[in-house]
Amino acid sequence: MDNHEAKFILSAYRPGGQDAGDPRFSDALEQARRDPMLEQWFRESVAFDAAVAEKLSATAVPADLRENILAGGKVSRPSRWTKPFVRWAIAAAFVLVAIVGSLVLREAARPRLAAWQTNALGVISSVINGKSKFDFQAHSATELVSWLAANHAPVAQEIPQRLVGLQSLGCKTFSWNGTPVSVICFMREDGGLVHLVAMSPSRQTRAGTTHDPQIVTQGAWATATWQAGDAAYMVALEGSREQLRSYLL
Amino acid sequence: MSAVDFQQLVDRQYAPLFRFGLSLAKSEAEAADLTQQTFFLWVSKGDQLRDRTKAKSWLFTTLYREFLNKRRHEVRFPHVELENASEYDVGVSPNVNALDSATVVEALRELEEPFRAVLTLFYLEQFSYQEIAEMLEIPIGTVMSRLSRGKAQLRQRLLSQEETAARKIIPMEKEKRTENG
Repeated sequence: MDNHEAKFILSAYRPGGQDAGDPRFSDALEQARRDPMLEQWFRESVAFDAAVAEKLSATAVPADLRENILAGGKVSRPSRWTKPFVRWAIAAAFVLVAIVGSLVLREAARPRLAAWQTNALGVISSVINGKSKFDFQAHSATELVSWLAANHAPVAQEIPQRLVGLQSLGCKTFSWNGTPVSVICFMREDGGLVHLVAMSPSRQTRAGTTHDPQIVTQGAWATATWQAGDAAYMVALEGSREQLRSYLL
Repeated sequence: MSAVDFQQLVDRQYAPLFRFGLSLAKSEAEAADLTQQTFFLWVSKGDQLRDRTKAKSWLFTTLYREFLNKRRHEVRFPHVELENASEYDVGVSPNVNALDSATVVEALRELEEPFRAVLTLFYLEQFSYQEIAEMLEIPIGTVMSRLSRGKAQLRQRLLSQEETAARKIIPMEKEKRTENG
């Protein structure tokens, strides 16, 4: 190491002596101990640095600077709403609300069965489970329709073609809020059942039903409801929408 | 950070920060503005600093960045090729003790900005070359180079100040002798 290099390194040596143990300076310091000229330069350099440091530290600071900083600090303090954690928490809450809200809206927008339809499914279930019995049993839909008509029960003016081809089991009538309702049960090819419900003209049939079949699923049930004339009809089965659609053709 | 902690930090650092700002800026007002801006940034962003022992380095680094940002907008200084900046190899050291603080600060402020930043951090807070390298985001070798050449330039300017001061004094003594004689 020559003196030029030693001076270069020793220029970074702090006058307070904090760097005495820094190995990066050890060779240059050793060089200064061996070379009187370099040692003299180093001593003057440290003295110069110490004097400059002292002068700079004595530089006057504006009298009002401290108060201005403290006052400005108060107004610069972010509100608790802008702290990072709170911002994340708020964002997470918004996301949660959005998710829950969309689920609620989706659930609310989901088509539901009317009360008379739910009631009809209950009656059908009770027959299937043996809790109640058919009013009339016959393997021919035509026979069942005749029986219903004779008993002043609502009858479908037109039975879907796929149902006509099925073997029927029986029919049952009941009243929902004073409005007569009838059910004809058919045996499906796959061994399951499919039911045709007819409800006499009423406010309920006029409200919420359309001329085109509206498919709604509820639990294990798939239902299709439509209006023809003033009466409302529902085809229901325990199965999928696709299975149901095949009986509407 | 509580208001008390903030006040303690201000009390410890506002004067050195202002002096650092003064060495960089062209006016006392600008230095004060930089100092305040630095503390206001601390208020809004200081919470992000996990190691609170580095608050001091954070403040000096932030002030320097703020200064550079302002300069980029103002483009007041021409670009200086530091590698080609002349190094004043003066064999004589000025008698700094005989000069007042304002003269030393003025001489420092006449240096090119990169030298000023490194020298001020070195002198004011006696930051190590490693700390300065981290704060200014420059290699250690560059810090040493700027310290070496910056000090040489500072000596040159302080010597000039000494000579100027001496010239001002001598004619007055001559005048007095003439009057007495």
